[in-house]
Amino acid sequence: MSETWRNRLLLAVALGLAAVYLFPLYWMVVTSLKSGSAMFATPPSFWPSEPQWQTYAYVWQSRDVGRYLWNSLVIALGAVALVTLLGTGCAYVLARYRNVWIDIGLFLILMLQVLPASLMVTPIFVGFSQFGLLATPRLAVILAIAAKAMPFFVVLVRSTFMSVPAELEEAGLVDGNSRLGAFLFIVLPLARNGILVSAILIFMQAFGEFVYSKSMIQAAELQPASVGLNSFMGPNTNEWNNIMAFAAMYVGPILALFVLLQRRIVSGLTSGALK
Amino acid sequence: MTAQIELTEVNKHYGAYHALKNINLSIAKGSFVALVGPSGCGKSTLLRSLAGLEKITAGRLTIAGDEMTSVPPRKRDIAMVFQSYALYPHMTVEENLVYPLRMRGVSKTEARARAQDVAGFTGLSGLLTRYPRQLSGGQRQRVAMGRAVIRSPKAFLFDEPLSNLDAALRVSMRKEIRALHDRLGATSVYVTHDQIEAMTMADHVVVMKDGVIEQQGAPLTLYDRPENRFVAGFIGSPAMNFVAAHGIDSASIALDLPGRPQIAVSRHGEAPLKAGQAVVAGLRPEHLRIVEGEGAGQTGIGRFTLPVRLIESTGSLTYLSLGETGEIALVEHGREQLRPGDRLTLSIDPALVHLFDPQTGRRV
Amino acid sequence: MKSIFSSLRDGRGFDVSLVAFPMAFLFLLSGLPLVYNIVMSLQEVDMFSLGTFARPFVGLKNYATLFSQPETWPILKNTALFVTASIAGQFLIGFGLALFFWNEFPGASWLRGLFLVSWVMPGLVVGAIWNWILSGDFGVLNYVLRSAGLISGNIFWRSDPAFALWAVILANIWLGISFNMILLSVGLSSIPKDLFEAAELDGAGAFARFFTITLPMMRATIGAVVSLGLIFTLQQFDLFAAITSGGPNNASNVAQYWAWDLSFRQYDFAQGATISVIMIVFVMIASVIYVRSTRQEVRG
Repeated sequence: MSETWRNRLLLAVALGLAAVYLFPLYWMVVTSLKSGSAMFATPPSFWPSEPQWQTYAYVWQSRDVGRYLWNSLVIALGAVALVTLLGTGCAYVLARYRNVWIDIGLFLILMLQVLPASLMVTPIFVGFSQFGLLATPRLAVILAIAAKAMPFFVVLVRSTFMSVPAELEEAGLVDGNSRLGAFLFIVLPLARNGILVSAILIFMQAFGEFVYSKSMIQAAELQPASVGLNSFMGPNTNEWNNIMAFAAMYVGPILALFVLLQRRIVSGLTSGALK
Repeated sequence: MTAQIELTEVNKHYGAYHALKNINLSIAKGSFVALVGPSGCGKSTLLRSLAGLEKITAGRLTIAGDEMTSVPPRKRDIAMVFQSYALYPHMTVEENLVYPLRMRGVSKTEARARAQDVAGFTGLSGLLTRYPRQLSGGQRQRVAMGRAVIRSPKAFLFDEPLSNLDAALRVSMRKEIRALHDRLGATSVYVTHDQIEAMTMADHVVVMKDGVIEQQGAPLTLYDRPENRFVAGFIGSPAMNFVAAHGIDSASIALDLPGRPQIAVSRHGEAPLKAGQAVVAGLRPEHLRIVEGEGAGQTGIGRFTLPVRLIESTGSLTYLSLGETGEIALVEHGREQLRPGDRLTLSIDPALVHLFDPQTGRRV
Repeated sequence: MKSIFSSLRDGRGFDVSLVAFPMAFLFLLSGLPLVYNIVMSLQEVDMFSLGTFARPFVGLKNYATLFSQPETWPILKNTALFVTASIAGQFLIGFGLALFFWNEFPGASWLRGLFLVSWVMPGLVVGAIWNWILSGDFGVLNYVLRSAGLISGNIFWRSDPAFALWAVILANIWLGISFNMILLSVGLSSIPKDLFEAAELDGAGAFARFFTITLPMMRATIGAVVSLGLIFTLQQFDLFAAITSGGPNNASNVAQYWAWDLSFRQYDFAQGATISVIMIVFVMIASVIYVRSTRQEVRG
């Protein structure tokens, strides 16, 4: 078998595998475009013959999707800002030195990274309520998400900083920088891409966060889209086309971001998990 | 001559590891000093301590008379060329060059004028808008040099700056760096593990080992009068031969070679040898002479015979390995019609025999 | 004062200040809650004492109550099943895909990266989609299985106690495949190619090469991937909330969902804290294994 045929065959199989794997996403879009009766037809149709685009406008209006997405955005941006601000310096120090204290710090960070949110939410909720933080529920959720996401961010950004040669920073010091100056003008610009990718990953996580928001935000007008979607799905719902439209509008921005930055996100994720 | 850099009893510890031990060093203004030694000897640590990149644990450092022991790097007014050049990859050549000036508040126009000037005499004129990754190794080296010389610092520090270049470029950059030093009238400290670099470039060579200065002085002094066996073996290429021996009388020794040949030694004010005193004789390969024609094959005072093991010729020079295991090296100009197994009669000028104590390694 | 300022600019103080704030933040928002969790698991907590710190200590009573409840053991068993089945499914399918994409062909790395889309999707959305796919009467999965002749009647994935947990496991496997595959791909591509060439010259066939070169060389990666899978699986909450809510009658309930359910549905914060403490200990053990398996690679 020639090289080209081998490649074509492998590519065909790979496309098939990807199609099977990504079918749930496709099914979401198809369902969202079906009418109420087409949705429950047997056998189901795998192609929306009469796409009902107005479903999207209807759901956007009736379910306040804009408000939910805005809340998700506020929460995600708040968490990313907090994590980036606090985590970057921490990651830098953990990358620059090699001693027992750094090892202990790293170990603690890795430990905190794995604590499941659904288990931590009980003490955080009770503690927050005692300190009155639940009066500003979105801020409370931002704090909780930041604490959960920061260890992951630190691990990712640390590996970025480790790829910036220490000699560059030393040259900066000799050339007349203070530690702060060398960090801001030499190290940070060189680590910018890694920090950006890590921040985007944190953003995606925070944008889809559910447990903390569900537990701490009671007022519907402050809830993010994950909670909104959850309350849309009653136990015996038959509005699946509307729900899928909601879901599609929710993942749309994330999918766009992912497709745009796929290569970087993939390499960022893998470097963080195995290093 | 005034001292530009003065180190007094400087020590550096990394936890339990003692990296620099009681370093005393005075570097004259305008001199070119090479720190040389095997890897791990502390030469880089010493250089980085001068720069302020390492904090010394004890002792005192002054630069141009000012106390600098615990002053941060940016306030020391020194420039450094790193082994990897440490060019800022996100800045163009010009931005790299003006960076140290801008950090010191020099105006943009003046800094750019200086950059033009420096680019002129370092051969970077056409490259100012390039990024470091678009440059060859030699060009990067020049940018690193340019970034150092663009301001007039109190001292230039070089950390093995030529080790990433190929052999031919290394030889030409050696001359360029030295010429630049002379032109600027600067004070330079140059770290290298290559003794040839140190010997050819420096006015003053400091040989280090295990955090201790073994010997310092003018390059030829180190070659002619090594104070100990380590320096004797480190300076000179190929390395000096060491042969166990013992004293016969105050002016001759018997070598521990087959036939116990005796050779004369001359003493210049050193303590006279005692009969039977154990010593190590240091014979430089280039100082051993092959005795030909009349007298060849005779052994006696000043002569000894060894079999040839290996012959390597570079064309202009011939390297011979002599002795039962090839332990004695010899260098001859020109070519030799020899075959392995031939026996050679050798002699050496008594003034060129170095003697060391077998225990302490010190010159006797 | 001046020396503090100069240390901040030029010395140790700079590093310390960079680390101090995030560490303090993590201590306040992760460290303290961890401790508070343990404290609450030893207290009597109800709606009235929620706002006060002075709650009566009851020793290990909460733990005793927990293990005397009839649903505790089935839920722990569900958790174990959920974890093992999810990891096995994710790992095997992920490894298979990684091996397939290891073949070099145009577009391989791009297509492989596409799989990761499942990882960045909000858990609730994944749950919602699977909820609909797994629907009993109109679910597309039942339709496909019926058309393939694998089942004769519809499976009520979400409401049949025999299948409810498997419904969530199915969705969780789908979610985890991509991550397993990508990490295993990284591990595969880090094996030097000449090892395989040498083995081939030594006469090893494809299977022998897999078992004598690939698997042993992948040991560290596999260790890391499996323990990461354990950690992620124990964090899985959104799929339960979106697909079964732990029902019917706890048939698909697992510890991490139950802990939340106890606290926020039944307002039994003490019990919620108690089960959290137990699970956190498990997660920590898993993460120690993970840290050790990756550490070796880094230091190696």
